[in-house]
Amino acid sequence: MAATNPAGVEALHRLKLTEPPMYLTPSPELANAARTASEHLFALLKPYTPKSPFDRLLVDEKFDAEQIWQQIDLQSQPLISAICRQVNKFEKDPKELKGIFKSSESEQEKRSEFVMEREEEEEEDEDSEDEDDVEEKDHEIKEGEREIKEGGFFDEKEFYDDEAIDYGLTKWKQGLEDDEDDELGILELAGEEDNSDAEKIKYDDFYTSNKKHDQNKKSKVNKEVEDTEMSDEEENEGSDVEDDEDSDEDVDQEDEGFADDLASDEEAMKDNLSTHEKQLLEQRAKIEQVEKESLDVKAWTMQGEVNATKRPKNSALEVDLDWERNAKPPPVITEEVSQSIEELIMKRISEGHFDDVQRVDRLPSKAPREMKELDENQSKKGLGELYADEYAQKTGLVSQALSFSDEQKKEATVLFKKLCLKLDALSHFHFTPKPVIEDMSIQTNVPALAMEEIAPLVVSDAAMLAPEEVFSGKGDIKEEAELTQEDRKRRRASKKRKFKAENAKKAAKKPRENKQTAGDGEDNTPSSEP
Amino acid sequence: MLRRNVRLRREYLYRKSLEGKERLLYEKKRKIKQALEEGKPIPTELRNEDAALRQEIDLEDERTAVPRSTIDDEYANATESDPKILLTTSHDPSAPLKQFVKELKFVFPNSQRMNRGGQVISEIVETCRAHDFTDLILVYEHRGVPDKIVISHLPFGPTAYFQILNVVTRHDNKDKKEMGTVSEAYPHLILNNFSTKIGERTANILKHLFPVPKPDSKRIITFANQSDYVSFRHHVYRQSGGSKSVDLKEVGPRFELRLYQIKLGTVDQDEAQTEWVLRSFMNTSKKQKVLGE
Repeated sequence: MAATNPAGVEALHRLKLTEPPMYLTPSPELANAARTASEHLFALLKPYTPKSPFDRLLVDEKFDAEQIWQQIDLQSQPLISAICRQVNKFEKDPKELKGIFKSSESEQEKRSEFVMEREEEEEEDEDSEDEDDVEEKDHEIKEGEREIKEGGFFDEKEFYDDEAIDYGLTKWKQGLEDDEDDELGILELAGEEDNSDAEKIKYDDFYTSNKKHDQNKKSKVNKEVEDTEMSDEEENEGSDVEDDEDSDEDVDQEDEGFADDLASDEEAMKDNLSTHEKQLLEQRAKIEQVEKESLDVKAWTMQGEVNATKRPKNSALEVDLDWERNAKPPPVITEEVSQSIEELIMKRISEGHFDDVQRVDRLPSKAPREMKELDENQSKKGLGELYADEYAQKTGLVSQALSFSDEQKKEATVLFKKLCLKLDALSHFHFTPKPVIEDMSIQTNVPALAMEEIAPLVVSDAAMLAPEEVFSGKGDIKEEAELTQEDRKRRRASKKRKFKAENAKKAAKKPRENKQTAGDGEDNTPSSEP
Repeated sequence: MLRRNVRLRREYLYRKSLEGKERLLYEKKRKIKQALEEGKPIPTELRNEDAALRQEIDLEDERTAVPRSTIDDEYANATESDPKILLTTSHDPSAPLKQFVKELKFVFPNSQRMNRGGQVISEIVETCRAHDFTDLILVYEHRGVPDKIVISHLPFGPTAYFQILNVVTRHDNKDKKEMGTVSEAYPHLILNNFSTKIGERTANILKHLFPVPKPDSKRIITFANQSDYVSFRHHVYRQSGGSKSVDLKEVGPRFELRLYQIKLGTVDQDEAQTEWVLRSFMNTSKKQKVLGE
């Protein structure tokens, strides 16, 4: 064993005794104590490390935390792997374990104490946040190892990881129960999920022994127990450890286990399915349930209009008939409301601000009548001049300057006619043809010579009369002087003919008038005189 | 008469179809006007039409400058003459309903009450048209309590359906002797809190039931909207001692109105287009404030 260096031990004790908050402030004494303690521990472990480059931990003042830590690391890494190997070895060969565990009850208690201690130290550990923190943890592992060596009763199997130990998982406990008849009770405990332990804890840790003992009882040869169940057992056992009540609780658990056998059997089958298949199963179960519900008769609250006869007695008292309504409730007219309205009215009155109908002026549809103003002043023109002006206007010798309003009037009338056409087209079913807007321009029958003389040069010839308008071609074209003898004869003959026709008409008219009262439809053709 | 109505209807439809184009034109003119006022160059997209539009702008007056919306066209000529209202009830009215309608007759100036008898709605509307009524008001009841009022504007105008709540009639309050007679002057109107589009429309419908009042009229009728419930109040006021102290005396019935439908035809046209209808079964109907606020 390692030489117990008193200084080192004392340093360890000191570290243990200091309050965790003290670690938060850097203090040189604690640092020194930590150094000596680590040195001591290192020395303790040295024999067990297969090959280490250091004889002792170099913890002089000049070495900083990083370097010390690295040295420790160098030592501890191979050590840990060695321990793991040994643990695996014991896994496969649990009989050795049993042999160890059967030794004594007192050892149990010791172990429980140690376990508790460990837990306390762990808590301390977690509290401290010093640079020595990591070293502390390391120390713990080493302490545990030391205890192993000292006690000689533990197997490394117990110390898988911190959490396992928290839960109080101890192999020796397992081992005890293995001997009891219904170990399977423990197995059947329905577990909650605790997958953090899953990786390091293996099936074989717990159940390889069971397999060998109880193959006759249950046919669970290749049962893959979930880690959840183990971890749950750990939890249960953790509590047991603290309280030191082993047997009673275990018995209870076993009873439950019996009842749940079949269920867990199915669970085992379920565990063979993938997650997707499990989901499908759940869905199907839900669907079946919903279908079953919908086929059943509904509860009376869901049946629409329900009389008192259709529902059980006093059932309306139990149902909460209040639900959220979407409509706004009609306002209750309180005094305040009326008051506020009246205030509003008074305010409006004092402002004089009302929302009355405004009378709008109609668009004038008729043009305002032209009022003929009578000029009261004496006319400056004499009467003779007035007559002369009128005559000139009549004959068109004077081109009258058309007044402004006439021009506009013309334009307006033309526009209005076009507009009327459009409106009529819109509102009448039958077709209205376009109105002929005649351009009216006065054309006076004035001899061209006169026009040419008087009219300004700008006036176009188009305004003048065409030859047909001057003389249409009926009547005597030739003058008296121009006539030849035959022409004279012809004229005389036509004259005579006309005269005769007129006389015959006159003669026919008179007897017709006399006979009208009789009403005879006598055909009175004018008798042609030879 | 019929043909005139048909023509007016067609004009309305035509103008409605032009509304879009008119709006564009109005926008262009507005832009040009703005550019001219600010002294900025006219926007490039309007350069081609600038001359023609400028000419039109010069010729515009206040009335033509604003683009006409076709919504209230039914009331375009309503202001020229006083409204003429016909009041009736549902078939076989009870005595309280008859009293209520009698009171309403005094509320609306220039109104007449008619017994319903056995007339059908279409007959009533025809009589109204024949006698040149502008509005028709129908009042319905439930066991003596008036619960619905339908206001229909006549040439071809909109119909508004209201639900009546919390009715307090003059007959309830006082005896005959205390009541006195109602002032029949043309009243001033107060329409408060009709801020949305439908609110404005309703305000218009209610407004045009009344004629143009004289400025010094002492009678006030209030339609105050509070979360879609329109309170009707009828007061006569007296200004004592300057414009500071105003004494209000409540006259006439008071009730709450709740609009539930506006249709774009008269009452007898049930296949007319609905402008708006209340949807109280929607989940968000609690939050909706249709008429104002």
